[in-house]
Amino acid sequence: MTNLKKITLDARELEHPKPLELAMKALRELNEENYFYMLHRKNPIPLIDLASEQNYQVVNREDENGDWHILICKATHIDLSEFVVPDPTKE
Amino acid sequence: MFSQNGLSLDQAPPISVVFRFFFSGALFGLIAGVLVLLFQTNIFNPNSTEALILTHTLTLGVMLSFMFAALFQMLPVIAGVILPSPVQKANLLQYPFILGVLILLLGFYTSESWLFIIASILLGGSIFYITAIMLKDLIKLPNHSASSKGMMVALTSLTIVIILALYMTGTLSGLLQGTYYSVIKEAHYSFGLFGWIALLIISISFQVIEMFYVTPAYPKFISGYLPYKLFCLLAFGLLISFYIAKVWVLIDIFLALVLSGYAGITLKRLTQRKRPLTDATVWFWRLGLSSLILSMIFILITTFTDIETFKQLSYIFFATFALSIVFAMFYKIVPFLTWFHLNAQGYFTAPMMHEVIHPKTAMKHLYIHLATIVTFVLSLFIAPFIYLAGLLTILSFGWMTYQIVHAWKLYQHTQETGEKFDMGSMG
Repeated sequence: MTNLKKITLDARELEHPKPLELAMKALRELNEENYFYMLHRKNPIPLIDLASEQNYQVVNREDENGDWHILICKATHIDLSEFVVPDPTKE
Repeated sequence: MFSQNGLSLDQAPPISVVFRFFFSGALFGLIAGVLVLLFQTNIFNPNSTEALILTHTLTLGVMLSFMFAALFQMLPVIAGVILPSPVQKANLLQYPFILGVLILLLGFYTSESWLFIIASILLGGSIFYITAIMLKDLIKLPNHSASSKGMMVALTSLTIVIILALYMTGTLSGLLQGTYYSVIKEAHYSFGLFGWIALLIISISFQVIEMFYVTPAYPKFISGYLPYKLFCLLAFGLLISFYIAKVWVLIDIFLALVLSGYAGITLKRLTQRKRPLTDATVWFWRLGLSSLILSMIFILITTFTDIETFKQLSYIFFATFALSIVFAMFYKIVPFLTWFHLNAQGYFTAPMMHEVIHPKTAMKHLYIHLATIVTFVLSLFIAPFIYLAGLLTILSFGWMTYQIVHAWKLYQHTQETGEKFDMGSMG
C-alpha cells in the first residue's frame, strides 16, 4: 500500500445533510497524495454518483454492523479497496 | 475540483422538475384556501358538492403534486431508480394533470357530463403514464429496500384509485350505468387516503426518519410487512364490499389500529434520536403523526356512533397528518436540493442551506400551520372561524409558494453570477 494521507469522516451520528456537506468539503481537498474515508450508516448514493461523475476512484462497502465505508481518491494507480479497515477512526 | 458539467441529468432529476411540482401543489393550496372562504362550513358536509370539490383540490391538486415532487426526487436517491428524460416525463405528466384537475373540479361544480369525460382522459392518461413507468422500473430492481417495496405498493394503490375514479366519472358522464357506484366510491376513498397517501408517507418514512433524524431503524415486522398488510386489507375490503357493504367498518377498525401503531412507533423513534436537535421539520413530523393518531381515534369512534362532529374531526386531522408531513419534507428537500445542485455544478458561491430557507422561516410556517388547524377545529363549533381558517390556509400556501420562488431565484442567480471552482487550483 502506498503512503496516502487519510481524511477521515465518521458521519454515523450526523443528521442529514451534514454528512454530505462535510464530504463535499473533504472532496475539494483531495489531491494525488490523499484519500477520503467516510463511515456512514447509509450508502450515500448522491455522493457516490457525484464522485464517480468526476472520475474519482470510489469504493463503498457495508460491514457486518451495517455501517458503510466509503473511500474516495483522485489517484488512479492504487487499489483503494486495500485501504478498507474495520475501524478507520482508530488509526 | 468539480468539472463544469456537474451531475449527470440521467442520475439526478433537474431541480426544476421537483420545484415545479411543489409550486403547482402550493398554487392548488392557495385555490383550496379561496374555496374555503367561498364554501364556508359546507365543506364539512361529506355529501355536499363543496366538500367534494375541496377534497379533490387537496388530495389531487395539492397532495398528488407534492407526492410527484417527492417521487421524482426520492426514486433515484432512496430506491436507485433512474428515470431517463425526467423533464420530458414531467411535462407529459404535469400539464395534462393540472388541466385535468381544474376540469374535474369544474365538472363537480357544473355536473356537465362532457367535463367528466375530458377530465378522465387527462387525469387517467397522465397518472397511468407515470405510474406505469415508475412501477416498471421499481419491479425491475434487483435489490429492494423497505422503502422501495412500500413505494411499489403505494403506486399500485394509486393505480387502483384512478381505475375506481374512472368508473365514477364514467357514471357521472352517463357512459356507465353505475350499478356499483356507492361500493366503488367507498373503495376509492379508502384506497386514496390509506393505500396511496398514508402508504407512500409510511414507505418514505422507513428511509427518511432514520436518515434525516438518526433514529434506530424500524422493526422488520413494520418496515418489511406493513405496506403489504395494509394493501391486502384494502384489497380484501374492495372484493368483499361487492357482497357485504358493511365490511368497510371492520376494515376501518383494523386500519385505525395499524396506522395508530405505526404513528406511535415513529413518534417513539423521534424521541430516540442520537443528536436531539429540534428544528421545524421534526415538529412537523410530530404534529403529523399525532394528527394521524387523533384521526384514527375519531374514525374508531365514528364506527360506533353517528355523531357528525367526530367524522369531521377525523377529516381535519387526516388532512393535518398528510400536509404536516409534506411540509416537513418540503423544508428538508428544497434547501438541500438548491445547495446540492449548485455544489455539484461547482459553484463555490452557492448559498448555504440556511440561506435558501432559514430555519426560523420554517418555524414561522409551523405556527401558521398550527393556527390553521386550530381555526378549522374551532369553526366546527363557531362557524365564523371558517373565514380565518380560509385566510390562514391562503397564508400557509402563500408562504410555501414564496419559499419555492425564493429558492428558485437564488438558484438561477448563482448560476448566472456565481463563480465555479477552478480545477487547476484545487489540486
